[in-house]
Amino acid sequence: MGAPVTKTSYALNKVLTAVARQHARKDSFTDEELAGQRLTDAELAALKAGDITALYHLGANPYLIRRVFRARFPR
Amino acid sequence: MAEIVAAALTSHAPLITGKPDIAEPAQRERLYAGFAELHRRFAGARPDVIVMFVNDHIQSFPYSNMPAFCIGLADSYPAPSPGSAGLMQIAPRRVPGAPDWGMALLESGLAAGFDFAYSYELESWDELAVPLHFLLPEATVPVVPVYTNCAAPPLPTVRRCHQMGGFVGTFIRSRPRGERVAVVATGGVSHWVGTPETGRINPEFDHWLLDHVARADIEPILALTHTEIERDAGNGGQEIRNWVAALGTVPGWKGDVLAYEPVPEWITGCATVWVHP
Repeated sequence: MGAPVTKTSYALNKVLTAVARQHARKDSFTDEELAGQRLTDAELAALKAGDITALYHLGANPYLIRRVFRARFPR
Repeated sequence: MAEIVAAALTSHAPLITGKPDIAEPAQRERLYAGFAELHRRFAGARPDVIVMFVNDHIQSFPYSNMPAFCIGLADSYPAPSPGSAGLMQIAPRRVPGAPDWGMALLESGLAAGFDFAYSYELESWDELAVPLHFLLPEATVPVVPVYTNCAAPPLPTVRRCHQMGGFVGTFIRSRPRGERVAVVATGGVSHWVGTPETGRINPEFDHWLLDHVARADIEPILALTHTEIERDAGNGGQEIRNWVAALGTVPGWKGDVLAYEPVPEWITGCATVWVHP
């Protein structure tokens, strides 16, 4: 059995899915919005900064990044 | 036995309908002409039901429950839903489902060792709405969506998707004589969505794929790995699994590429393909 190759953060995707399902968009998240979520410090920082590149590398689903942070994409 | 009277492969992207004006007009018109020709051929084929090989975009299936393959058993499907209609600039509507047909496919799969998941309520995004806007403007033919996980890795292998489509084709041919079935796959071709390379398109890969589809040379496509597709066609390119599933229903059929346009403004390599014996 090899090591897994897929990098997914369930915590990040749970937060982003909740927003995407409301057809809502965000520029960033606040501490209040993220209270109670089991996020790492790096995940918290990326959500609060709206850092779409960091979110991708931390294992957020790119479709969710696109949906939620649409305004941060140049096109 | 039932007959597959039409088969097509198309891209889906919300901007195809959502922001038509940002595309280069000649590209837009060539792609729209491809869709219009597909519509003309579909209307002429007079299908009783359309099997749609599509994928979710974490709209219906969250990470708490992620099926590899899922058959829709709903009475109708949003195409688009009120919440996503604005993005696609298509009026919200519902297209009829064919739950009995879907249930028969589901039961047949389970009996044969093909363990589909199923859903009685699906929130679709552009995977149904955009292609059906062109192909089925009046929503008169019921659809049975077969969802494949193309968006939340790890994904089923391309080869397994072809086997799944092969099973669906076998099922279709077991249906009563006189039933007319159409097969549509939506997704792809190359595009990078939400990744650091968002907006990239790889026409070289797209032409490679389309050339193989045109010749019904399926084996090199089935050998593609997740990593190769991610590298050469982007995360959006993983949606070619839907195309491969559709091609599995009609072994040996060849693709007639009606349009291919890499549209940077829509961040998608866009194609319409008619598949025929």
